[in-house]
Amino acid sequence: MDTTGKGSRVIMGRGISTRDQADSDFAVRILDVAKRFGTTTALDHAGFELRRGERLALLGPNGAGKTTLVRCICGLAVPDSGSIEMLGRPLPPSGGRHELGFVPQEIALYPDLTARENLDAFGRFHGLSGDDLRRAVDWALEWTGLADRARDLTKTFSSGMKRRVNIACGVLHRPLVLLLDEPTVGVDPQSRDRIFLMLDELWRRGTSILLTTHQLEEAEQQCDRIVIIDHGRAIAEGTLAELIASTVGADRRVVFTLAEDCPDLTGFSISDDRRQLVAEVEDVSLELPGLLTRIREGGGRVSDLDVHPPSLHSVFIHLTGRELRE
Amino acid sequence: MIGTVVRVGLLRMWHGRTEILLTFVVPIAFFTIFAFIFDSQIGLGRSPRVDLAIVDEDATELSREFSSALAEWETLHIYAPADHEDGLFVFSSTEPARSLVLVGTVPLAVVIPDGWSASLTGTGNDAVDLRLLADSSDPVATQVVTALLRQTSGKMIAERIQMQVRTFLALSPAEFEASPISAIARPVAIEVEDVFAADKSNPVVSMYAAGIAVMFLLFGAVGNSGTLLEEEENQTLDRLMCSDLSMIQLLAGKWLLMTIVGMVQVTIMFAWAQLAFGVDLIGHLPGFAVMTVATAGAASSFALTLAALCRNRAQLNAVAVILILCMSALGGSMVPRYVMSESLQQIGRITFNAWALDGYIKVFWRSLPVTALLPELAVLTATAIVLFVVTRVLARRWESS
Repeated sequence: MDTTGKGSRVIMGRGISTRDQADSDFAVRILDVAKRFGTTTALDHAGFELRRGERLALLGPNGAGKTTLVRCICGLAVPDSGSIEMLGRPLPPSGGRHELGFVPQEIALYPDLTARENLDAFGRFHGLSGDDLRRAVDWALEWTGLADRARDLTKTFSSGMKRRVNIACGVLHRPLVLLLDEPTVGVDPQSRDRIFLMLDELWRRGTSILLTTHQLEEAEQQCDRIVIIDHGRAIAEGTLAELIASTVGADRRVVFTLAEDCPDLTGFSISDDRRQLVAEVEDVSLELPGLLTRIREGGGRVSDLDVHPPSLHSVFIHLTGRELRE
Repeated sequence: MIGTVVRVGLLRMWHGRTEILLTFVVPIAFFTIFAFIFDSQIGLGRSPRVDLAIVDEDATELSREFSSALAEWETLHIYAPADHEDGLFVFSSTEPARSLVLVGTVPLAVVIPDGWSASLTGTGNDAVDLRLLADSSDPVATQVVTALLRQTSGKMIAERIQMQVRTFLALSPAEFEASPISAIARPVAIEVEDVFAADKSNPVVSMYAAGIAVMFLLFGAVGNSGTLLEEEENQTLDRLMCSDLSMIQLLAGKWLLMTIVGMVQVTIMFAWAQLAFGVDLIGHLPGFAVMTVATAGAASSFALTLAALCRNRAQLNAVAVILILCMSALGGSMVPRYVMSESLQQIGRITFNAWALDGYIKVFWRSLPVTALLPELAVLTATAIVLFVVTRVLARRWESS
């Protein structure tokens, strides 16, 4: 979670009037959006905001409604009710999204075109031409670190390289808002780091970023705020600290592993195999000696212990009752 | 935007050399095989030869003369055993020839019965007729040979009558020719003039070039339209719909690309037909151009509609193969429609293959002006427009859900 800032941030206001700027503290605002497919409720009056210049992670179990929400923002699905605003303006059902960049989860490239040809094509589809297009493509090749592979067909690229080109094709037109659907699926840790360096560069230029992810550490480490969505509703949003404070609290979880079966002790929960005792503590240094003494006096012999700080994982489990991939 | 869609398609084709091979070379190879098969068999009086065995039980000068006259017909191939060296082979009895017909070695055997010459010259008591031993599975050959036997024997009879009349009147050959009586005994002569083939270079091959071209035009267009489904599957379509590109621009770009590729495909096919088989493409350029634009346009719209109807590429391929083969068979791409029954020919007109081929036949076979192509152009253009509109409606599923 970035709290210190990674360099200066410039919020770009291209084409936005003074009144719009006043009204557009939010890059994207989802207002009470509902969407059903037959008898299935994909979005159940969901609502949250992506603030301008913010990196927001959208978390949720499979089927929670993340993809439908992203498709609604992109104009690929029409909400049954509610509305979506971008940069202070209501988005029409389709079109009117020139300020938006979209990076799908799949490698949405032409595999039988070179990296340069792919970038050139998607640049043109986003309205670029002439020198602007050429400069944007050159920039993207440098940005992705693929300038030396510009003339190679993308089908010959590694998964991480394809991902980088995939992202670059969505940002050639310098969008103010960028949606990324699982941008690091199937890539190795090095490529993932590279991708987040790329995204950081966009963010520093003022791009507001909304990404869906299954990687909790990505949400924790790479995003300013987190929205958790489940059953089509945004059930929590805030910084990691805010989410922890509002859900599991700041207490540490201390797990004692015993050499023999655990005695029954008040103030502890016992694991099913009766080999672990679990306690919640507010201050480890003050409370831990007392806990160890109580166990020893109760007849237990501690062989190991772990201290778990509150995490996004515990917040997620607390809120949804499910693991992220369920 | 439309230009970018076309550009992307052409670049993808350029990088996929196999696709170029399939699009442009395979149809030419296919057409060449067809052209070799049919070029020497249909049209221009080059019908396949009929195998015929001759049985000469009469064994007279006249029967030998008759046998020799039969052997002079190009249409007939007179049977001879493998070990027979030179000259005309005739059986002296019926049974061996009958056996040949029964086992299928020859479809027909003509029997010149004993006494045939005598009956013709009036020295015999009763009329003796020629007999034809026929394999009824080939009725056309029977009809052809019957006609040839009549024509050959008729000519011989006419010549004999002339000779007897001239002898009776004691006229020299020149005096007889000059006399009005010669016209009476002259055999009926028939001169066949091929009003289509005259002064034209290989119109039959042009018909096959068109047939194969239209069939592969459809296959090529469907292959290209399948990119829409690929783009849907890998979310490129989502990305495109999220850009400044509209669905109508995307479809128009795809249509234009397929039409351009189709036109090039057909042009290469006919250029090869001109080089290798002497089809007169240059001489029919205006008609060829308008027919090719209209046909390629209709094929492109048809392929787009199929893609919009199908859920994935595998489904598209399966449906397209069945539909295109049926349309090609009914529409005359595989065998000419004129060999089909009347009802089948009428059914064939629901396919645009038939309309396209009719147009090409008008251009290359009948050498009709462009104005004569209006019905075909109207049907093909209307097909292209209607199917494109249908595709646009169906494509709403790709825009938003």
